[in-house]
Amino acid sequence: MTSLATNGISLGVLLRGDLDSLTTWLSHWNGRRLAFCLAVIFIGAGCYGAAMGMWRAPLQALYVAIKFPLIILLTSLANALLNAMLAPLLGLNIGLRQSFLAILISFTIASAILGAFSPLLAFLVWNAPPLSATAQASATYSFIQLLQVVIIAFAGITANVRLIQLLRRFSTGRAAASRVLFAWLAGNLFFGSQLTWILRPFIGSPGLAVEFLRKDALHGNFYETVFRSILYLLTRK
Amino acid sequence: MNIDPIPGNVPPTIPPRTPISPAPGLQKLGENPEEREPIPNMVVAIEAVLRQPRRIMYQLRQPGSGKLIGSMLLATIICILVYGLVVGSFSMHDQLWAAPVKLALGLLLTSLICLPSLYIFTCLSGSQARLAEMVGLLSGLLMLMTLLLVGFAPVAWLFSQSTNSIVWMGVLHLLFWFIAVFFGLRFLEAGFSHTQARSAAGLNTWIIIFVLVAIQMTTALRPIIGTSKTFLPTEKRFFISHWGDNLEKAAKDSRSPD
Amino acid sequence: MQALPVFLRADPSTVRQWIADWPSQFVWFCVVSILLGAGCYGLVIGSWRDELQAVYTGIKLPMVLLLTSVGNGLLNGMLAPLLGLNVTLRQSFLLVLISFAVTAVLLGSLSPVALFVIWNTPPLTGLTRLWSVEYGFLQLTLATFVAGAGIAANMRLLPLLRKFSRDARSARNVLLAWLATNLFLGSQVAWVLRPFIWDPAGPSQFIGRQYFKGSFFETVFNAAWRLIHSF
Repeated sequence: MTSLATNGISLGVLLRGDLDSLTTWLSHWNGRRLAFCLAVIFIGAGCYGAAMGMWRAPLQALYVAIKFPLIILLTSLANALLNAMLAPLLGLNIGLRQSFLAILISFTIASAILGAFSPLLAFLVWNAPPLSATAQASATYSFIQLLQVVIIAFAGITANVRLIQLLRRFSTGRAAASRVLFAWLAGNLFFGSQLTWILRPFIGSPGLAVEFLRKDALHGNFYETVFRSILYLLTRK
Repeated sequence: MNIDPIPGNVPPTIPPRTPISPAPGLQKLGENPEEREPIPNMVVAIEAVLRQPRRIMYQLRQPGSGKLIGSMLLATIICILVYGLVVGSFSMHDQLWAAPVKLALGLLLTSLICLPSLYIFTCLSGSQARLAEMVGLLSGLLMLMTLLLVGFAPVAWLFSQSTNSIVWMGVLHLLFWFIAVFFGLRFLEAGFSHTQARSAAGLNTWIIIFVLVAIQMTTALRPIIGTSKTFLPTEKRFFISHWGDNLEKAAKDSRSPD
Repeated sequence: MQALPVFLRADPSTVRQWIADWPSQFVWFCVVSILLGAGCYGLVIGSWRDELQAVYTGIKLPMVLLLTSVGNGLLNGMLAPLLGLNVTLRQSFLLVLISFAVTAVLLGSLSPVALFVIWNTPPLTGLTRLWSVEYGFLQLTLATFVAGAGIAANMRLLPLLRKFSRDARSARNVLLAWLATNLFLGSQVAWVLRPFIWDPAGPSQFIGRQYFKGSFFETVFNAAWRLIHSF
């Protein structure tokens, strides 16, 4: 990828996990670096979202291209204060801005990876039969879903590996960095899951209209649904 | 036979206040110069409780710690009112003011109820801390706890807007509260470890009392999440039976057809 | 008030010095602590019934502690040297008084918590019975506080007894002996001075005449006998 070698800003720096540079980024932040990260998130996650949604319809592609980056940014913002408080409590002495930017950097890395995989996903979707009720039961659909899970997991794991390397730079011990990462992950996953639930659909359903949000978006939540499903499986009532 | 012959009636001298020395292996408070910097206002206190808790513990031992305690209590009240607003946003209307008021009142009442036993239990454990210092450590606990609750506020708000289940929201708020109080109690225990106490058994017992009183207070001041015609409940209940009834009702509602 | 934390924190060597010097102020300090601490707790537990019961129990609970100390003073004073503790009668009395003072101070500090428990308990009504759940819960909770305070006080007493004894075993034996005698007399004193929380038989009285009939242990024995026979 061509590096945007302006004022030391480079996607390569992020993806390589150049710790000296990243430590400098966190310690001496500026508007350009922030704008760069936001741009990568919007473009990378947006492209991936578009590829995800295009199987249903072009309009769905547009909607998901907006929603996917929105989830990342809203999760970072909503949990910013909590993450900033948990860090020093768990042994990592960094401030609000640094903790927010560290998480933003990890999401930037994930978005860059997702953006890189978006042409691949788009190509697969283009080759797949159109999304329909029968298609949902087919091997192709299952394969594409599985591939998406693998891509998102790969992007997430890579981003978090980079993040923990960065956190270890700021902490006195590896244990503190691990604790903080675990706490941030738990908080972000908890909030992010519910936000994703509210902002559904992403792939879409052939039986339902293409909508930005479902009409019952604010009814119920992800965990209640999971709990009821488990209860149903166990009791069959 | 008597070992110690009884002399004339001379009142015993109260032993001079021994300087508080830390337990072996524990760094003395104030050894780090950063800890000796005074805490002038609430914002610095908030920063310090998160990043330099020892600084707060040291400053609580200095003359004029009342101002610091006042700042911490003010921060506590502000934070709990903010969180209360989020809690009240589940039911809206009257709960938007009732929930913050009840949470603030409940927290302060819980602290007042438990403060005498905190001081006595810690004295019994051999702690050299004065009452003012224990009040300060308790204020620090409350401030840290409510700060974390404010951190959880966006998450709580999101779930408040996307569910109708009182039970679910109750469980969620309790979970956040347990996490917040864990860190608050950790601060208190860290402060207590510097007071030359011989044992932590008294403090540990007090912690159980504090948690139980706080939980019961939420039931005594109900409803905090749901709605009601009256500000306070007309029926007295204990939290276990209140929770049990709510869970039963929720289970019945989920089984009945829509 | 400054003396209270000093008293609570004091290590056994310091307390031993106080006992050896025998200041009358120290005795009065313990007595006042018992009156105030146990009195507060008594006020609270009686308040579930009504204000009059609160006043009565506020007087009776410290009386239980003080009468037990005084009633067993001679016996405890004799048992101590017999079991290897080298103290005089006055010193043994003061040691027991110290443990009761610690108990009373603990109970006093728990009075707000007890008041909170009572505030949350369904109030006494015409339908409340001795076997009602709320009464049972209240009894259990308040008794747990008393038991906890007593245990803590006795744990404070043991290291103090060790300062006066030849060995740890003597100190332990004396503690057990004093516990047995105090529990024995204290149970009966409490039985006679009841009720503390509530008497369903009628309005609040300080002590009813009927309470001088029978004893705690007779009642326990009869109840056990009935239970065994019911099988």
